Amino acid sequence: MRIRFIFYSLFLIPFIVNAQQNKNQSSKIEVKDAWIRVSAQGSNTALFFEVVNNSDKPDTLLAAESNLAEVVEVHETFKRENDMMGMRKVNFVVIPPKSTVKFKPRDLHVMLIKLKSDLKVGDKSEVTLVFKNAGKLKAEAAVRDMQMMMNR
Amino acid sequence: MQKVLINCFLILALLPGCGNDFPVIENLGGSNYQLTNQNEKEVLFPDFVKGKTVIAGYIFTNCPDICPLTTNNMRLIQERLEKEEVDNVQFVSISFDPGNDTPGVLKKFAEIRNLDLNNWTFLTGDKPVVDKLMKHVGVVAVPGDSTVFPSGKVSYYYIHTDRIQLIDSEGRIRKNYPGSSINIDEIINDIKSL
Repeated sequence: MRIRFIFYSLFLIPFIVNAQQNKNQSSKIEVKDAWIRVSAQGSNTALFFEVVNNSDKPDTLLAAESNLAEVVEVHETFKRENDMMGMRKVNFVVIPPKSTVKFKPRDLHVMLIKLKSDLKVGDKSEVTLVFKNAGKLKAEAAVRDMQMMMNR
Repeated sequence: MQKVLINCFLILALLPGCGNDFPVIENLGGSNYQLTNQNEKEVLFPDFVKGKTVIAGYIFTNCPDICPLTTNNMRLIQERLEKEEVDNVQFVSISFDPGNDTPGVLKKFAEIRNLDLNNWTFLTGDKPVVDKLMKHVGVVAVPGDSTVFPSGKVSYYYIHTDRIQLIDSEGRIRKNYPGSSINIDEIINDIKSL
């Protein structure tokens, strides 16, 4: 009985330690000020937020999840010569230690593609951000229009 | 004598600039493009806004970032003009993605943003007509990155000119601005002094 207890304890310890490490890591990554730009069903829109990394190690945003849209991707807006603007998918975003990365208009954003319903001012929705070390972090995002953002 | 000559030179140097703050970039006045507004009514652009100063923006509604910013900046311009009681200005948003941007899509795009359409028209049209107009106004829009849906359908996103234009009452383009980052004070002053 005692041998069995020691065996299971030794077997479980790494999992417990690993879970604790993940918990500590996730508490060191904060997702703040999440908001979604107002948009219509069938159309696309963008999710913006700030990621604060309070730890001494970098983390990496790998993906985002939301029930609001058919497809959810991390994108960045880029500028070319002659006032040309475009956007492209990015596969990951590194969040350096002790720093904040802002996902904001004309820059990094999460693209919500083909919305399942209208997103009107005042609506709220839970979104999930998937990090390499911190795992899945949930955040509540409010639907806002640009006027509201400029008046903040 | 030398002082007089210097003064004369300075005056002559400044003269060509007088009245030339807004050189004609392109004249749309001689052309008319048959387009459809958000209410499915056919209009001839720029004829239907002749006699008014026009603020034109170029968008596609699937754009999640730049085009909503451009649209919002046009709203800010509209609100400032109303506050300062400047009238006879018409706003026009023209889609360069007519395959997706039907009149109904444009109407919904405006409605969900609570835009004031009293002096603001959204336009789409047949692709050859829209392409010709974009070339005329100097707006480039080419398909760039894409998203593949679970159904296999592919949706393309445009790399495009970020543009708001000031067009005079005769249909002549007088100034270009970066649509998503326009200086509102600058264009308000330009509208007043055009």
